[in-house]
Amino acid sequence: MRTDPAGTRPAGRADPARRGPTPTRVLRAEWTKLVSVRSNAWLALGTVAATAVTASGLGLFVRPEDGRSGSWVVTSGFVVAQVGFLVLGALVGTSEHTTGTARTTFAAVPRRLLVLAGQVGVTAAAALVTALVALGASYLATSPARAGDAPALDPSVPGASRALLGFVVASVAVALLGLGLGALLRRPADTIVGGLVLLVVGDQLLAANPGRLTDTVRALLPSSGARLLQDDAALAALDAATLGPRLGVWGGGAVVGAWVLVVLGAAAYRLRRHDLR
Amino acid sequence: MSAATTGPHHSRVASTPAPGPTLGRVVAAEWTKLTSLRSPWWVAAVTVVVTGATAYLAAQASSSDPGYQPLGDLTVGLVLAQLGALVLGVLMGTGEFRTGAFRTTFAVVPRRWTVLGAQTLVMAAFALLMGVLATAASVLGILPAARSRGIALDLTAGDTPGVLLGMVLLVVGLALLGQAVGALLRRTVPALVTTLGLVVVLPLVLGLASDPLLTGGDPASLPLAEEVTGTTVLGTLEALTPLAAGFLMTEPASATPVAGAPDLGPVGGGLVLAAWVVVLLVAAAARLRARDVR
Amino acid sequence: MIEVEALTKRYGRAAAVDGLTFTARPGTVTGFLGPNGAGKSTTMRVVVGLERPTSGTARVDGRRYADLPAPMRAVGVMLDARSVHPGRTAHKHLLAMAQTHGIGRARVREVLEQTGLEPVAHRRAGTFSLGMGQRLGIAGALLGDAATLVLDEPVNGLDPDGVLWVRRLVRELAAEGRTVLLSSHLMHELALCADRVVVIGRGRLLADAPVQEVVARSERAGVVRVRTSDPQPLARELLAAGADVAPQEGGALHVRGATVDDVGTAARRCGATVLELGAESGTLEEAYLQLTRDAVEYRTADDREGAR
Ligand SMILES: Nc1ncnc2c1ncn2[C@@H]1O[C@H](COP(=O)(O)OP(=O)(O)OP(=O)(O)O)[C@@H](O)[C@H]1O
Ligand SMILES: [Mg+2]
Repeated sequence: MRTDPAGTRPAGRADPARRGPTPTRVLRAEWTKLVSVRSNAWLALGTVAATAVTASGLGLFVRPEDGRSGSWVVTSGFVVAQVGFLVLGALVGTSEHTTGTARTTFAAVPRRLLVLAGQVGVTAAAALVTALVALGASYLATSPARAGDAPALDPSVPGASRALLGFVVASVAVALLGLGLGALLRRPADTIVGGLVLLVVGDQLLAANPGRLTDTVRALLPSSGARLLQDDAALAALDAATLGPRLGVWGGGAVVGAWVLVVLGAAAYRLRRHDLR
Repeated sequence: MSAATTGPHHSRVASTPAPGPTLGRVVAAEWTKLTSLRSPWWVAAVTVVVTGATAYLAAQASSSDPGYQPLGDLTVGLVLAQLGALVLGVLMGTGEFRTGAFRTTFAVVPRRWTVLGAQTLVMAAFALLMGVLATAASVLGILPAARSRGIALDLTAGDTPGVLLGMVLLVVGLALLGQAVGALLRRTVPALVTTLGLVVVLPLVLGLASDPLLTGGDPASLPLAEEVTGTTVLGTLEALTPLAAGFLMTEPASATPVAGAPDLGPVGGGLVLAAWVVVLLVAAAARLRARDVR
Repeated sequence: MIEVEALTKRYGRAAAVDGLTFTARPGTVTGFLGPNGAGKSTTMRVVVGLERPTSGTARVDGRRYADLPAPMRAVGVMLDARSVHPGRTAHKHLLAMAQTHGIGRARVREVLEQTGLEPVAHRRAGTFSLGMGQRLGIAGALLGDAATLVLDEPVNGLDPDGVLWVRRLVRELAAEGRTVLLSSHLMHELALCADRVVVIGRGRLLADAPVQEVVARSERAGVVRVRTSDPQPLARELLAAGADVAPQEGGALHVRGATVDDVGTAARRCGATVLELGAESGTLEEAYLQLTRDAVEYRTADDREGAR
């Protein structure tokens, strides 16, 4: 705390404008809360490790004739990584409510949306860092595979560098989706199961019964965000196979972005309107 | 609030024949505990409804196919029912530890294995109820489509009774799997992530390894699928995951195994799932014994 | 009867309980005292078998808790109030406890009535206020009608009515010949209802004695306070008689080593008008604060200032 230079007034009585919670202060407080819980660090570390291990394991099974690209080999750990990012967001969104911290937090910062915004900021930042590290780790972990049978990472392949960037963007989006669902549902079990249905199981279920309706619904699920990880050739193949709308290059990103906005909006509405216990 | 005073009750209590906790009594207590919560009922209700609705929608969609087989859509709803079973199990397995209620439980019954055994039995019984209802909902779900095509459903013929039994047992097995992981890890989020990772994500990863078409492989560039003969490492691993093994129980006994997978059959699949449950429960029991509960 | 012998419990390297020995006997209320983090709850958790001692033993009626044939009928336990699933109603919580020992529903209703929880018996415990949760904990401890009771801060959060009720309840339980081990931070309350106190600090035993004996150890015990119109001559007179005299605010004197009679006589001898005269009695609180002065783990800033 800063005291006034003359030392005549006690610190607590400083200029009113300096006393209250500002967006930056809330952001810093949320960051402190995020990094001070040991399980979050373990979660990030576990996500990185699981992503790299999965990518290197899958890399071993890639044959040159599969038609998979080098960028797919590097980013193939996303199937596991997305669970980690979902849980990260879900923990940030629900922990206030499961631990009773909400009472402290919202007593200190009654403008609840400011807190939610702060949580969005720190979740995005944490997911971004984790995703970059996971991507780097996957790159290193798959280098033996790429030196062997799997295709090399070739930036001149159309969409290859976009696919690497897409890994990071999709990871952040999944984390924010988890945060929104968590703040909306307030219970980690509901959040994780709901998120997994939206990201994995729904897609699986619909993929088993291809048709116009099911493919359309599939395209509109947030699992479409995984398209951000595909290079141009793979996207073209996906669009050729679907009976529903063809999402093109950015459609998948737009779908998951819309989901994030809608879910966060619903969470904000609930936060403003409903009691906190 | 007013409070009356206590009186001595020694005489009444002392005359009871067997004073301590027996397995039967602990089972009764655990049943009271499970059924007095709202969440298991909610999970069960949602699971049953979603299972039936999925079967209904799938049957409606496929009933226009020329070679429509109503019973083919019977197990579709289980893809979501499995989640309900797992969540139910995890919530019940971690519930005591998450809330602190375990202090009461283990202070009252210090023989912790008795408690774990009773919880497992009660979980199995409740999951059995849920499994029967979910299976019934699946049958109800495919009825309208079958009727609209004028096909009579015979649930007693051929492999169908076995499939129905397998569906129920799959729900029970997955609920017990969730409960065992919950009792082992004691915290909801790690237990849930572990269970869902094991059941949902692991098969997905193994599937990616064996089938390039799942994400973005270009079908044109693939060589013609060679006939897979015998078992492959990936196929075996896949068949031994809890989900794939459990789903074998819902396959007709006469079904041919998936390419590359060992021929376990419904019974073999059930045994693999049971082995997962037993190993995890033993680990949970060992942890209960070796570690303090706080 | 609870016998704790050379009990040590470590979490990692830190010892929460360190070589603790004491006995809680039938027919007595044993108050269990100590600063925050002293190890009271840990000791109680070890006694009821939730945690294993690192070394030493804790026995109830001569046996390990886990070896009791019917634990709930031997020991009534109330630990943390958070030992209830928040989604379960009070009635079902108690019923499930009762079922483990074949105790009937009638007894469940009885304890609900006894603790005043009847009107809220079918509400979920998660919606209870602090005091209601506390009453539910006490109800659980009473359920088995046990000969030994272990109560961790039972009056914490109770209304004055409830505090009075608990005081009477534990006195009655002890009068019926039961063993009551009860921890509390409310010294006035303990002074009223405990027969013995066991005081611990940083996991070690600081005192184990009847309440009167502990109170008598307080600095103020045996002091005579006198206020007169003219303190100086009286002080000289008393010093000459071999007593210790400490002047207080407002012309009062605290005299040690003399009885009230001695001081009264001395005042008359030097012709002072006595305005106030009486024997000071120490309190359990003072005795406790002296005992634990060096064992307090979590000091407030004020304490630290004062210590300097
Ligand atoms: N599970 C645990 N892991 C690590 N340390 C613990 C654990 N439980 C208790 N402790 C430590 O053991 C010490 C004793 O704690 P305990 O709860 O027994 O104190 P207490 O006397 O009951 O305090 P209070 O008056 O605050 O209830 C404390 O320092 C505490 O931090
Ligand atoms: Mg305590």
